[in-house]
Amino acid sequence: MADTIQDKGRTGFQHLGIQANGFMDYLSAQLANVLVNNPINYPVFELCFPASSFSFTSDHTICITGANFSPVINEKSIELNTPIEVTKNDVLQFLKPIEGSFAYLAIQGKINAPNWLASQSFNAATLQKDNVFEILPILESEIYTHSIPPAFIHSIHSNIFTPAPIRFIPGPAWNDLTEESLSQLLTQPFHTTLQTNRMGYLLKGPALGLTKPNQYLSSAVTRGTLQLLPNGSIMILMADHQTIGGYANLGQIILVDLPRIAQLKNGSSLHFSLTNVNTAHQLYQQIQKGFIH
Amino acid sequence: MQLNSTFKDLPLQFNYLGDHAIVISINTPISSESIQIVKKVVTLCAFIKKTHQWIKEIIPAYQTITLVYDIHSFYQLEQTDPLIFIKNSFQSMMKENFLETEAGENKVIKIPVCYDEIFGIDLASMATLKNITKEEIIESHTHEIYNVFCLGFMPGFAYMGNVNEKIQVARHLAPRPKVFAGSVGIAGVQTGIYPTNSPGGWQIIGRTPLKIFDPHPETLALFKAGDQVQFYSINRATYDQMIQS
Repeated sequence: MADTIQDKGRTGFQHLGIQANGFMDYLSAQLANVLVNNPINYPVFELCFPASSFSFTSDHTICITGANFSPVINEKSIELNTPIEVTKNDVLQFLKPIEGSFAYLAIQGKINAPNWLASQSFNAATLQKDNVFEILPILESEIYTHSIPPAFIHSIHSNIFTPAPIRFIPGPAWNDLTEESLSQLLTQPFHTTLQTNRMGYLLKGPALGLTKPNQYLSSAVTRGTLQLLPNGSIMILMADHQTIGGYANLGQIILVDLPRIAQLKNGSSLHFSLTNVNTAHQLYQQIQKGFIH
Repeated sequence: MQLNSTFKDLPLQFNYLGDHAIVISINTPISSESIQIVKKVVTLCAFIKKTHQWIKEIIPAYQTITLVYDIHSFYQLEQTDPLIFIKNSFQSMMKENFLETEAGENKVIKIPVCYDEIFGIDLASMATLKNITKEEIIESHTHEIYNVFCLGFMPGFAYMGNVNEKIQVARHLAPRPKVFAGSVGIAGVQTGIYPTNSPGGWQIIGRTPLKIFDPHPETLALFKAGDQVQFYSINRATYDQMIQS
């Protein structure tokens, strides 16, 4: 089971080699939280198929977003992206993976789980059978009170589950790509492989080459870094990535497109396209302004 | 977008790294001078961070210092863009007294290592490969004072260098599935200590009884970038004693 509890991750410790962790698809997780009136970056259950089942011991408001794993409560199917009332003894199960890789379950209140360095995200702590979690009430001052228009919910969901190209900003090793590789990266399809996890997504595609040896002095990498491995394949760094890396850094995927990468299933195809920082900032701001008024 | 400028005293380059990080690069070759420059830039970044909470991380490495920032909180407070902001902050600080910026004291952290072969599992093969004795390897490893260039790979793992040419050995082609916490290794010009049990490819020459990483929030990593480290040899009895205490 690869299900975990995630919040927005840990900040301020990467200089000690401590990874950020956090939501893989932050937009779906944030959406789940606000739809149950939780603060936007509260911890949620991040689920992979086959996902854990949950049995509730008291009444709660819950919401499921992100991947569609055909959720059912007491065997009756329920809507995604919609707050749902559950009562004592209700059982939530996920029957079949239809779309996406990570589903998010938010429960109104705060999941009472271990906290380390101001985050409940742990890269190694997966949910275990028969785990019991207490849901603590939220402070009144923290309750998210804005209403989320259906059009915004729809736009978030369709932004994540669209096959549009993945946009990135060129990185320090971009100019070291051979001309042929540079054009292949921008025109050829790439595919996700079985080697996808919370640390990174290994892609299959044309083998890319550099005009110099693939040996760089280690430097900080980020979520969304496109690392070129010595065998010519691309690894996209994700939420549990190491803090620094010494492979060619070809570029970084922009924040608004990271949920789209996170939700790709094994074998999905993708294209890359170039963008710039101004555009990336504008796109990110547009979405965040929908959440934070 | 690129804003490169040569400052009066230091060649620093400021570039975006994707949409939520800025990388400050120094052009000085790796040396004690480059280490001092990285330390000073970190100090200046930390100074800016104190009053600008949108800066989330300051991550030093060999020739770069990377700032990770929060896009939304930046634009709530500032009119310009993050790269221009950082560059301007540096320009105004460097006009003043950049060179006087204290890079911090340099005390040498002494690390006990037991080089017995039960721990130094690659010592024998290294000695054969480099055509020297195990004692010479230990002598060289404990003689140098190493600089901590950066931390990474796993929490608390410090990349230190430079290892003397006569004991430089490349890492194993395939990593071992398990290297024990405290294992001291060599990989080319670098030396380092595994903070926790983990897979690893470095050539293992000994083990320290010290805790290199402690998850307690007030302890965390034993080393930080810019520290100086020297190893000293201890026997098995001392190792056992220190492990127990």
